[in-house]
Amino acid sequence: MNASLAAVFALGTGFLLVLFLCALAVERGWIPTRITRHPLVYTLALGVYASAWAIYGSLELASTSGYGYLAYYLGVAGAFLLAPVLLVPIQRMTRTYQLASLSDLFAFRFRSRWVGTLITLISLLAVLPLLALQVQTLGNAIFLMTGAASPALLALAFCAMIALFAMLFGARQGRRNDRHDSLLAVIALSSLVKLVAMLGLGAIALFGIFDGPMALQAWLDGPGQVHQASVIQTDPAHWRTLLLLFFAAALLMPHIFHITFAETLSRHTLLQASWSLPLFLLLMAIPVPLILWAGQHLGAQEAMGTAYLAYGLSDALWVQALAFIAGLAAASATMVLIALALSGMILNHVLLVAHPPEAQPDLYRWLLWLRRMLIAAVILGGWLFYRIVGVHHDLTTLGLAAFVGMSQCLPGLLALLYWPGANRKGMVAGLAVGLLVWLLGLWGPLLTELPPLVIIPPGLEGLAGEPDWYVVTLVSLAANVLVLILVSLATRTSEGERAAAEACSVDAVIRPKRLPLEAATGEDFKRHLARALGEEVAIREVDRALDDLGLSPLDGRPYALRRLRDRLQANLSGLMGPSVARDIVDRYLPYRQGGPEATEDIHFVESRLEAYRSRLTGLARELDGLRRYHRRTLTRLPVGLCAFGDDGELLMWNDALAALTGIDGESVIGARRDSLPAPWGELLGQILAEPRDHLYKQPVTLEGGLRYLSLHKAELEGGDDELGGKVILIEDHSEMKWLEDELVHAARLASIGQLAAGVAHEIGNPITGISSLAQNLRYDTEDPEVLETAAQIQQLTDRVSRIVASLVGFAHGGRHVTGQAFGPVSMAAVTDEALHLIHLARSGEDVAFLNRCPDEPRVEGDAQRLLQVMVNLLGNARDASEPGGRVVIAGEPRDGGLRVTVTDEGHGIDPRVRDHLFEPFTTTKPPGEGTGLGLPLVYSIVAEHHGQIEIDSPPPGQARGTRISLWLPLNPQEGETPR
Amino acid sequence: MYVYRIMLFLVLGGYLLSPLMMSGWASPGVAWYRPFVLWGVLIALTLWLEQKRKLDER
Repeated sequence: MNASLAAVFALGTGFLLVLFLCALAVERGWIPTRITRHPLVYTLALGVYASAWAIYGSLELASTSGYGYLAYYLGVAGAFLLAPVLLVPIQRMTRTYQLASLSDLFAFRFRSRWVGTLITLISLLAVLPLLALQVQTLGNAIFLMTGAASPALLALAFCAMIALFAMLFGARQGRRNDRHDSLLAVIALSSLVKLVAMLGLGAIALFGIFDGPMALQAWLDGPGQVHQASVIQTDPAHWRTLLLLFFAAALLMPHIFHITFAETLSRHTLLQASWSLPLFLLLMAIPVPLILWAGQHLGAQEAMGTAYLAYGLSDALWVQALAFIAGLAAASATMVLIALALSGMILNHVLLVAHPPEAQPDLYRWLLWLRRMLIAAVILGGWLFYRIVGVHHDLTTLGLAAFVGMSQCLPGLLALLYWPGANRKGMVAGLAVGLLVWLLGLWGPLLTELPPLVIIPPGLEGLAGEPDWYVVTLVSLAANVLVLILVSLATRTSEGERAAAEACSVDAVIRPKRLPLEAATGEDFKRHLARALGEEVAIREVDRALDDLGLSPLDGRPYALRRLRDRLQANLSGLMGPSVARDIVDRYLPYRQGGPEATEDIHFVESRLEAYRSRLTGLARELDGLRRYHRRTLTRLPVGLCAFGDDGELLMWNDALAALTGIDGESVIGARRDSLPAPWGELLGQILAEPRDHLYKQPVTLEGGLRYLSLHKAELEGGDDELGGKVILIEDHSEMKWLEDELVHAARLASIGQLAAGVAHEIGNPITGISSLAQNLRYDTEDPEVLETAAQIQQLTDRVSRIVASLVGFAHGGRHVTGQAFGPVSMAAVTDEALHLIHLARSGEDVAFLNRCPDEPRVEGDAQRLLQVMVNLLGNARDASEPGGRVVIAGEPRDGGLRVTVTDEGHGIDPRVRDHLFEPFTTTKPPGEGTGLGLPLVYSIVAEHHGQIEIDSPPPGQARGTRISLWLPLNPQEGETPR
Repeated sequence: MYVYRIMLFLVLGGYLLSPLMMSGWASPGVAWYRPFVLWGVLIALTLWLEQKRKLDER
């Protein structure tokens, strides 16, 4: 009692001010999110479980039960060790359906608003002693430090500050289930402070009072034996019951439920807490016996009482301040979270159920202020409970009354997770029986001076003489479980409850139905909901749900609308609780009546199965593996595939079809056939309406041009337990169609070729005559002009003869007739001659040809064949050039050969035909102007000369035009080819 | 998922057998920190199983 009241007040206020500043810093973004969202912060926030009980109550329990005090820590550690099988499924449910409290969870599962109300009332009754415990420790600590006559008033001042903090940082406008970073950070800071303070007190006890671990051990084995003798070792049955109670607390206590499930944290973070929270609790537990033994060593037990031995470790003010801050940090964090959790439960399951929020002008604000008032009321309620009841009872009695009360929800919670057969009547009956036993045996006696009425059923007389808390726990839980099972088996479960049970059950897969909705788009949703929530809130909530799902407001797919409805219900559940949300959604967003019979939403079932994959074991895992294999087979099938349900809803759209149509499966699955983009809706409708199962080579205009598609359908006959519908295969037969057309064209050209060969043969005789006549002309005249003309006639008739011979050869299986043996050929001369011949043609006279080909080196080849090459290439260049254009022929020695290029500035070559240019009948010229045989002939001749040919269109460094490069070896026998 | 079962067995086994261990803790000559060492071992085991679970789910 060496501190003044003002100093203690300043100390407490200072600490709470630090919490305010911390919250403000997080909220303003002064602390980076990588720190505030670190898993360590979450672990520390979970440390809120270590309430004032962990600072004071554990000391009290340790002094009477020895290591039995560890049950408080080990029970909750056990629950977190089972996080993957226990906490993660609950987290999945609470996140999917936006359930923020135990009442929400029960009301959702048992499909009753009254169940939610009942759980809220139980929570309120059970938590009041725990709240009183927190306030009591505050009051007692102030009294021990100051000796003040009325510590309760100072405790009330602290309660007011804690309530203010909870109202400011815990209840915020908007979605209730958003993660509150500032709140989490403050709770984590409180946990850190109490941990450091407890470790500090433990260190003072171990190294200040004793001289280290060895000295402590010597004291325990020597003088300390006297104190240890007074400890009654916990009975194994009591120990196990305590473990069970504290195990249940981790799942059921409103503040632990809130921090574990309502703050939207990742599954990974929760799993990490399976070892990090037990570690935190270990560190919190170690100092407890050290402080106790040090207090016993100092003989401080008489003056301080066992719970507050830490204040007797030293007369130094800082040591007492350390103990006070540890207690204040633990109590304040617990009170803030209990107030937040309970206020939400009371709001959703008592106030909103009694007074639905319809037609509120500013719904968010109204809900916010209601919640803030409830937060203040809960904390004030805790203080009043302390004033009226708490001062007459020790910490253990208060704490155990709270934990036994909350444990009454444990059978219901386990049934919710693991027994879909449990129903509302069974749960309520079991809960009512358990609650009655608890109220009469533990809670009632707190309020009155009357002795506890502990009910011992016949056959369990052996329990007489056992502690009240133990008997009440066993009897209430046994009766609760028994009644739950019997009533559930004896009564009927409603359809809605059965569906909710499947949704909650750990092993069940949700099998939602495909039902059409009255509303046709997201905009319709807004209009319908505005009648219940007001226009502004309706727009905000629908937009938020659309945003969550990544959907467009105009998306009219039945599948998307069903998901939107589910999301809206979940979001409204986060705002107003599941009962009110379900009522609003059922009333204002109803399903269409009188439609076709509902079938399972197979796409949704599949997406859920994908999400649950890691939870499947044994046969289920094997079957899922098979499902995934078949699914993958259909998805990766190299042929387009889609499937429609009996109601015309699209259920599957594989990758090949997505590639063919350019429509992503995710955007159309769940849509009706007639809402598919053109031309697919009509085309698929055509095959579905067709009596035949096949439609061949249907012309369809797509982005890439005209395509020919073949469609095949098969009926999926549905049975009692199987889905029906139709599956359609879509094959792209465009290339086959083109090949067929080419084949017809080629056959036509072949017949023309045969005709031409015949004509060529007939032409041969008159040409020979012309040639002879031209030769005779040379002998009949001396006129140089006539001689020149005769020479040209002879040259041209020679060329016609060779062309005719080539044509005949080409027609006879592509074997070319070579007129001359290979010899050195000047490409410059060949080009000159080709140009000469080209100029004979009337067209393209205004195109300039520049022959820059060098005379040397000469290539080894057939001059006539190479002339044919150049004539073809130059003819093509001329045809591609515009009037006034220029064609440049260049040459340079390269890699043991000569590289000749023909470059024009014409329109270039269409990229689609560039790769097929050397194939017969490929032409870029208008119909009737080109046969498509020129370049194949060039290729063939160049290949005969062991050369190479390349096409660049446009050539490097040019915006347009084409460059054809020939490479011809100087000595073909060596067979070298350029790199 | 199989790792989860190991954890389940671990917790259930601990729940049933812990009274046997507890009886010896308060005996003279037993180091006062023994329960905490055992608890630390349990945490290390959980941490190891958590790493295995991560690999299992990958």
